[in-house]
Order: sequence, then C-alpha cells, then structure tokens
Amino acid sequence: MAVIIEVLGWGGKSRHHYRVEGPSVTIGRGYQNDVVLSDSHISASHLRLDAVGEGWQMSDLGSLNGVEIIKNPAADSDPLATVLAAGTEIKIGRTKLRIIADSHPVEAAKELHRLDKDVGQLNRFSIWLPLFLLVLVIDVATLYASSFIEWQWKNALSSILYTQVFLLMLALFWGGLGRFLREESNFLGHYNLILLATLVYSASDWLIGIIGYNLSAEFLVDTVAPLFNLSLVAVLLSANFALATNMLARQRWITSVGLVVLILIVSIANQIQAWGEFSPYPEYFAALELPVLQLGGAESVDQFIEGLDELFADADRLAEKD
Amino acid sequence: MAIYKTTGLSLKILLGLLLCWHISGFTQNENARTLFAENKTAIFQIRVIDVTSGSKSVIGSGFLVNAEGLIATNYHVIQLAASKPEQYRIEYLTAGDKIGDLRLVDVDVINDLALVSAQGLKAQPLSLAVAEPPIGVPVFALGNPLDLGLTVVPGTYNGINQTSYHPRVHFTGSLNAGMSGGPTLSEAGEVIGVNVSSAGNQVSFLVPMAALHELIVESQNSSGAAGGMTRRIGQQLFDDQEEKFSRMLALDWPTMPLGQAQVINELKPFVKCWGGSNSSSEKAQFLSADRTCRSEDNIYLRGKFNSGVIEYQFFWLEANKLNAPQFYAYYQRLFADFVPGNSAEEKDVGDFNCDDQFVISDDSSDTLQQKANKKSKRKTKTVFCVRAYKDYPQLYDVLFLQGTVDNSHGAFLSHFTLAGVSQKNAKAFARKLMGVAKWR
Repeated sequence: MAVIIEVLGWGGKSRHHYRVEGPSVTIGRGYQNDVVLSDSHISASHLRLDAVGEGWQMSDLGSLNGVEIIKNPAADSDPLATVLAAGTEIKIGRTKLRIIADSHPVEAAKELHRLDKDVGQLNRFSIWLPLFLLVLVIDVATLYASSFIEWQWKNALSSILYTQVFLLMLALFWGGLGRFLREESNFLGHYNLILLATLVYSASDWLIGIIGYNLSAEFLVDTVAPLFNLSLVAVLLSANFALATNMLARQRWITSVGLVVLILIVSIANQIQAWGEFSPYPEYFAALELPVLQLGGAESVDQFIEGLDELFADADRLAEKD
Repeated sequence: MAIYKTTGLSLKILLGLLLCWHISGFTQNENARTLFAENKTAIFQIRVIDVTSGSKSVIGSGFLVNAEGLIATNYHVIQLAASKPEQYRIEYLTAGDKIGDLRLVDVDVINDLALVSAQGLKAQPLSLAVAEPPIGVPVFALGNPLDLGLTVVPGTYNGINQTSYHPRVHFTGSLNAGMSGGPTLSEAGEVIGVNVSSAGNQVSFLVPMAALHELIVESQNSSGAAGGMTRRIGQQLFDDQEEKFSRMLALDWPTMPLGQAQVINELKPFVKCWGGSNSSSEKAQFLSADRTCRSEDNIYLRGKFNSGVIEYQFFWLEANKLNAPQFYAYYQRLFADFVPGNSAEEKDVGDFNCDDQFVISDDSSDTLQQKANKKSKRKTKTVFCVRAYKDYPQLYDVLFLQGTVDNSHGAFLSHFTLAGVSQKNAKAFARKLMGVAKWR
C-alpha cells in the first residue's frame, strides 16, 4: 500500500502531492527523507509515519516546532486514538499536509462546459484589439457628442483613462480568480467579455433612449433600461464564472442572478425612503433626441389642451388629504 | 462783475432757504410728536399667542378703524390664528400696556389685510383717508418695530405703484418687522395706507386705503367669513385669479422678436420683463438669448406657501460652433432644469403630476398665408405639470414647457408657471401662449 502525502494550499486545496511506497515514511527538510519539504520551520528529520492496519502511527523525531494534528477522522469515533486514519490533516512548521491512502476516491471528472470552448475562443489578442479599439472609439465619440463646452483633450483623456483602467482592473480580478481556482488564467477572455458587455450596454442604452423618447415613455428609460442592464450584469458574471471557476452551470446562474438580485434589493432599499415623499419640484421626462431620431407623429394643440383634463383630475387625487 | 453785485442778494436767498429748511424740519418733528401723542391710544401691538405654551408666537401692529372696536392689521400677522384657531388666539396690547382679547372678523389674503375686533375697547378710532395724498408729501408710519414699543418712522408718500397688478403704495421710509399692520398717517392724521412690506434701503410698501375700505364694508354687509376662514380665503384666491386672467386673456398680447421667434412682450400691469444673452462671452460655443417675465405679486398664504405668481420665459438657441449632438446635449440640460415660480410645502399642495407629448405648434390664429407656409408648423416636445392645492379647491400650480425638436442647429423654448390658477384659466393661458409665442 502506498501512502499519499498532499501539501495543502490556501483554503485546504491540494497544491501538490508525494507518493511513497512501503510501510513507513519519513518527512523533513533533510534530503534523506522520503518527503522533502523546504519550509524553514520544519526540522531536518521531523516525523515518521508507520503503517498500522488501516492507519498510520506517527512518531515525532525530536522536531523543534513539533507536530499539530488539525483533523484526524479516527478521533471522531475514539478521542483517544493514537493511530492517524486516512484523511488526517497535520501541520508541521508552516506547512499543512494531508495523509491519505492511494485508494482514496477522487471527485468525478467534470464535463467541459460549452462556454468553456466558446468563451475559450475569446481568449485571443486578435479579438481583444479590435474590441478594445471599438470601445475606445465609442467612448471618445460619446464624450465628444455630449460636450457643449470647448473641447479639451486633457479632460476627455482623464475620463477615458478612468473607464479603461476600471475595465482592466475587472479583467485582472477575474484573471486572478481563474489562476487561483483553476490554475489557468483567461485574462484576455475576461477582458473581451467585459468589453463586449460595455458595447451591448452602450447600444441598448442608446436604443432604449430613442424608443422611450419617441413613445414619450419615461418608464422605458427609468425602469426597463436599468433592468436590462442588470440582466446584462448577470450574463457577464455567469460567463466570467464559467471561465474562472469550476462551478456547474446551475451554480453559476444561481450565483450570478443572486448577486444581481442583491444589487437590486440594495438599490431599492436606498430609494424606498424617498417613495411617497413630497417633492416641491416637478419630475418630467426631459429627454430630447436629434430631429432625425424623432420618428413618431405629433398631436395638435387642441388635442394636447383637451388631454390636460385628465392631468388635473390626477393632480386632485394626489392632493387628497388622508 | 455781476457776481459781486448779486452777492448780497444770494446770501439773503441762502439764508432764507436755510431758515425755511429749518422751519420745515421743525414742523416735521412737531408733526411727528403731535401725531404720536394724539393717535397712540388707537394703535396697538397685535400678538398671536400659542395656546399650549401661552406665549407670543408672532407680533405685529394694528389700529382702530371704528367706534365698535374693529381693528385693522395684516393677514400675515394673524395668519396662524386664521388657519389654526384651536392652536392660536389673538390679543392686543395698548400703548398703556393694557391687554385684551381679539376675535378674527375677516381677512383679505389678496391685499394682506385682516380685521379683528375687541370687546369694550374705548378709544378714538383713526380717521381713514378717502382721497390719495399728493406724491412727495411727508407721511409717518407707526408701529411696534422689533417689539421695541410704539415708534414713529417719518418718510415720503410716493404714490401707488403702477407696475404690479395688486396696487401697493410706495413709501420711502424704513418699515421693520413688527410694524406690519400699523397705519401710515398723513400730516393731517389720516390713515393713508397699512404698513405691509419692505424691499430694504428705505423702499417700503403700504396697502392702499381702497382695499381696507372695501374689506370693512364687506365685513359689515355680509356674513364675511361664515363657513370658515379657509373657505373664505379659497374663494378670494379663486375670484382674484378669475378676474386677473379674464383681463389678461382679453388683452391683445404685445409681441417682440427673440432670434427668429416671436415672443410675448411685457403684459402690463401683470408682469415685468428682463432679458439676456451670452453673445458677449467669447468662450460661448452657442448662442442663447432669453426673455423672462415675472409678476411682482406674491400672495402670502402661510409658512412657505405663496401663490399668485405668473412667470413666462423664452429661450432662443443657436448651435453656432456646436455640432447637432452637442447642441442637443446642451438643449436637453436646459430643458430638464425648470422649477415652479412659487414655493409650497407638503401640507399645502399635492405632488406635481406631469405629462409630455409631441405637439405640432399650429394655431387657428395663423393667417392663411402662414398656414400655407409649412415652416410655421413646428414639431415640439411639450410638458405640462400640475399640482393641486389641498385646502383651496379648484386651484392649481402649473408648469408648462415647450421646446422645438425639429431643427438640429437651433431651438425655441417657451416656459411658464402659474401659481393659484383654475383649470380653465391654465388651459386658456397655455392655448393663447402657444398661439402667440412661436418660431416664425
């Protein structure tokens, strides 16, 4: 029977492991050991494990810092057990180890999700460059089109820089998470996903604005656009999870939608105290679009004046005393 | 040579002038002294007392107008007692430190007047002037400035202000807080106006006697405030706006050009107009010219609630150096930034209720020639907001906003707010304004 010594990393995940054949294993910093660890708090000859039945008997070989048993499954049933069962976790120096037999079961293989393949395609410089340039151009154009004071590149530059650095940080965060959780980083893939979402956001914002303006429908801009943006965030989160983690599709969606619902709840909670509060100022739909984007018809002055009666009736209702 | 010859004569004239000046100064002081002494028994401090705390919340002045104990003061002095009679009572304090209770008889919110009466008050009432004194005569305002005791403020009568719809006497002299509701007397000792407000720097205003005469007659003839003071005030507001708007809407509104648009000029005596533009600014990327007209009338109702304001405003915009999207970015910013011309609180009015529509501005008043010319039709975005008064039925504050949306490089924007207006009048005003103010 061979014994497997796993070196554990942050969060109890196995970083690497040693496989030792034979009835006994020595662990220490010295090269004569079966398992050689470079932790400076571990003694040259730190401990020895001898196979006893289903478990191992541990002997401290006079180490400086001793051995700490973090978890021993055998102690669950018998607190006085001296034998370490398979799955025992110990700490020597600053290193955590797990001791298991080679018959220890491993998790079933996970199917590669489709996104993995599709989104994996995104992890390319040749996709990133045009996307990045497109986002940059749209960013500059939007700023330029909304600037009615004298155009100054230095002001525009700082605004663009802030946005792009923020997007870069997001991509770096996801890339880092992937490196940690899956030991692979799809940094460019994440970056491209975020850039794509930015493009969809710009396009939808513009489109909903125009539809809302033409229909005189403030709720499209007020309610539908934010809800659409939140769903966009959910999709973006889920795709990023797919690239950076080993979560199953269901878990990904639950987590992403859950996060978005959380954002929604927080923003509603922020507004809830303003609901029903009196405002001395009128809230009217002030959106204006270029004449070429004004597609619908218009009513006559007479029709407009006639339509006001309803407005007065509603105002009376709003002023009713409780 | 002639100078030397006339020296003696000029000296005499100078001496004469000095003497006259001295005498007139003397008589003015003498007059103030006699007026004060003769009339102080008929002038009181009016106090509004909070029933719960038993102490005064508001002080003002008032004066006896007839032998039955009727005292005139300002509505704004006794406003708390008028709107919350269960919480506030009114009392008077004589120059001789005698205190007595007052009963609210009637109010005139439009002219900021109120009548209160005292039981068994024995004093000689002040005589009320029937005719207007000549402009420039010295007059004397009496009252209790800042609770300092009865005080005389000499000043000059400057006639009835012709630039506001509700007339006010322009008094050059300093009215201070607490003098509100006190009388201003002529040298003959007749009341020529009721102290009401100050614009600072010796510019003060009095309510003309005509309004007081009318209120006294009304309070004696009819049951006055029967049915409650709130109902009475509501009726006065409604009647006042009915008369004001019927006069204003019957006028042929004078116009003037603003850019390529035709806008409404000063509607006398309802509003005063100002205007401006950014054309002198070198950094300006676009042209913006505006004309703003606003009424001087401001009817105080209570707390932070006032009404009676009429305001209309026009903007002419040209894109100049801006491209179309940039111009519209500015235009939208301007369009989003309009607020009502009066102030009100939650207890006074409901929330604003707004609607926006695309409207083709094309009025029946257009001539056939204009109708044939398609350019007189303009597509606009038109916003209308209404809020209703909680205590005064059938009265509303409205805000109107109309901007052209069919030109990429220019725009014409009209805005008005009317405070305390009926539905019928607000609609008629909107219709008339849309017909007159337009991009030609």
